[in-house]
Amino acid sequence: MFREEKMRLFNTLGITAALMLGAAPMAFAGPVQIEGGKNVNMVLLPKFLGILVFDQANDGAQEAHKELKNPGELLFVGPTPENSVAGQIEIMTTAATQGQGAVMLSNNTGDQIVPSAKAAQAAGTRVITWDSPIPSGEGEDVFVAQVDFGSIGKVMADMAHSILGGKGQMAILSATPDASNQNAWIASLKEVLKSDPKYAGIELVDTVYGDDQAEVSYNRALGLVDKYPDLGLIMSPTTVGIQASAKAMQDEGLCDQVKVSGLGLPSEMVSYTMNGCAPEFALWDFRDLGYLTYYTAYGLASGQLTGEIGESFTAGRMGDYTIEEDPGRPGTKRILMGPFTVYTSENVEAAAK
Amino acid sequence: MGALLSRLNPQSLRILGLLAVLVLVVLFFSTQIPHYLNGRLFNRISSSVAIMALIATGQTLVILTRNIDLSIGSIVGFVAFATGGLISSHPDLGPVLLVTYSVLLGAAFGAVNGVLVAYGRIPSIIVTLGTMALFRSALVEYSDAKSITTSNLPHWLVNFPNTVLFQIGQYQFRAAFVAAIVVVLLVHFMLNRFRPARKLYAIGSNPEAAEMAGINTSATVFVAFVLAGALAGLAGFMFLARFGTITVVAGLGLELKSVAAAVVGGVNIFGGSGSVIGALIGAVLIDLIDTSLVRWDMVSEFWREAVLGGLILLSVAADTTLMRRLVNLRISREKAKFSKARNVQSQEVAE
Repeated sequence: MFREEKMRLFNTLGITAALMLGAAPMAFAGPVQIEGGKNVNMVLLPKFLGILVFDQANDGAQEAHKELKNPGELLFVGPTPENSVAGQIEIMTTAATQGQGAVMLSNNTGDQIVPSAKAAQAAGTRVITWDSPIPSGEGEDVFVAQVDFGSIGKVMADMAHSILGGKGQMAILSATPDASNQNAWIASLKEVLKSDPKYAGIELVDTVYGDDQAEVSYNRALGLVDKYPDLGLIMSPTTVGIQASAKAMQDEGLCDQVKVSGLGLPSEMVSYTMNGCAPEFALWDFRDLGYLTYYTAYGLASGQLTGEIGESFTAGRMGDYTIEEDPGRPGTKRILMGPFTVYTSENVEAAAK
Repeated sequence: MGALLSRLNPQSLRILGLLAVLVLVVLFFSTQIPHYLNGRLFNRISSSVAIMALIATGQTLVILTRNIDLSIGSIVGFVAFATGGLISSHPDLGPVLLVTYSVLLGAAFGAVNGVLVAYGRIPSIIVTLGTMALFRSALVEYSDAKSITTSNLPHWLVNFPNTVLFQIGQYQFRAAFVAAIVVVLLVHFMLNRFRPARKLYAIGSNPEAAEMAGINTSATVFVAFVLAGALAGLAGFMFLARFGTITVVAGLGLELKSVAAAVVGGVNIFGGSGSVIGALIGAVLIDLIDTSLVRWDMVSEFWREAVLGGLILLSVAADTTLMRRLVNLRISREKAKFSKARNVQSQEVAE
């Protein structure tokens, strides 16, 4: 309790106090204004290359890179899809030996990257995660969370409630069994379903994994329909799974019976939303996520931010953010971006352009 | 029984064995899963196996020559993406041109493997391990992080795989499945009736002897890789039509699944024996077990892969044991015949 109080005090600290590490709170000032022009080499490391959302994050990071007039380099490097885990660890290790100022990581390795991330930190490289954190938080300076992981459960539960009309069977089609972001979201969905009587009519019957591959996800979606004849909704918290499920339901003429929802890209989902197979789905803005991650990493690597809980700063066009304890991973730190956009037939066409 | 065993050739014996296993698996799951045995099951398996049937056929051609193609999944992915890109920018292209494009592109990738293996004399497992990553990286580069989406594809393409050609009761024969079966049967017929195709078996059985017999082994191995690439290209076309949304992960892991289908289907991993019909049944068997395990409550998500792996080991072990018995049986029969003949001979001499 005491700690939380202190956190809140720290929230309001300004540039001077923040720089005076560990000093007693004494000044009341605004958030840290990140100053541009400092030379910091940085690496943006996605789960793997060739996926639209990661490219969008890179666009956002490049925008911030230009805005802050960083004379250093911003590299967008990632492994190829078949080599994701080993590739991420290798790139992390290389970044440390090259003496990069910061690595911005969307972690796909679970805790396997911890040793190399710790080595990078020991070599003076800041490790900032985004999109998907390091589960234990070891080797990680701070996690830039796209949305509150707890609120993803709430948003998915609400979509399920509205699609099913408050009553019916739902199954989850996730990515891989060890994707730390998806697992956290599913846990939060289960929590929300259990805790609020509003969702009492919704029965979660199964969770299956499509490995984030179109063909596996497609077959798993059909498997769910065969296994549960009364299934009303497939909830897929991954952009690959949601569109593969929607395609499978459409191909087999099942859209009247089984709806699809979850997290998806408007450009990939527009036709399914318009024809009623996937009436509602949600996502956040990956450009903004890349932009905010860059500001955070740049602030830390240039020494303008300390990375202490309670520290606030201004991230350019996106406004003020504060470093806080991650409620989903006690003892670790996060910056919360938010919010969600829920897409329906009303707004999906405009967003798909 | 013994007489029947020795009259049937090992090839047909294997296929009969596989069909028996298939029936057993279906019967087993029908006691475990409610509403299991119906037309829906057939429609599910037939639609999803269409793509794997083509890939496993290509893989079989390569394995027959005592080689392996690990790049086949990357070829499927690249062709699916490139074909999707082509039809998105030129929506007027007809089916014939589009399929030709897919097949030729796949064949070109196969030719790269073929040159390196057949003429560069580098072991195929090393070559294709390299090209698997190379082709995948080329796709990542080529895709520019964009995805092919269903909305950019013409209706005829998206509707093709699920068009019902004919129907017997609940059992639908859909276009993709029928097309794949036709291709597999065509390759099977060629392998059995077409003389040059027999060279694949000769090389796989004994490369040195094949060389001595005047077979151009390099050219034949090259052709096997090109054909495998072409079949992977066709599979890429089907992949695009079925899944619509293609990203850089398309076809990931298909190389190992195709090897598994071939091996379960009785294709000898050391080359020289096996049939594409066997590989097709192997693909059906794996797909059937995979699909059924999803619906079976006894096996959790995490054990499914392990069960599949166990099945592969089991089938290879069964195949080896069966073949060894058969060979021993034949040897003992030949011996018996031979010694009988000799006894007769020695008696004549004595008289």
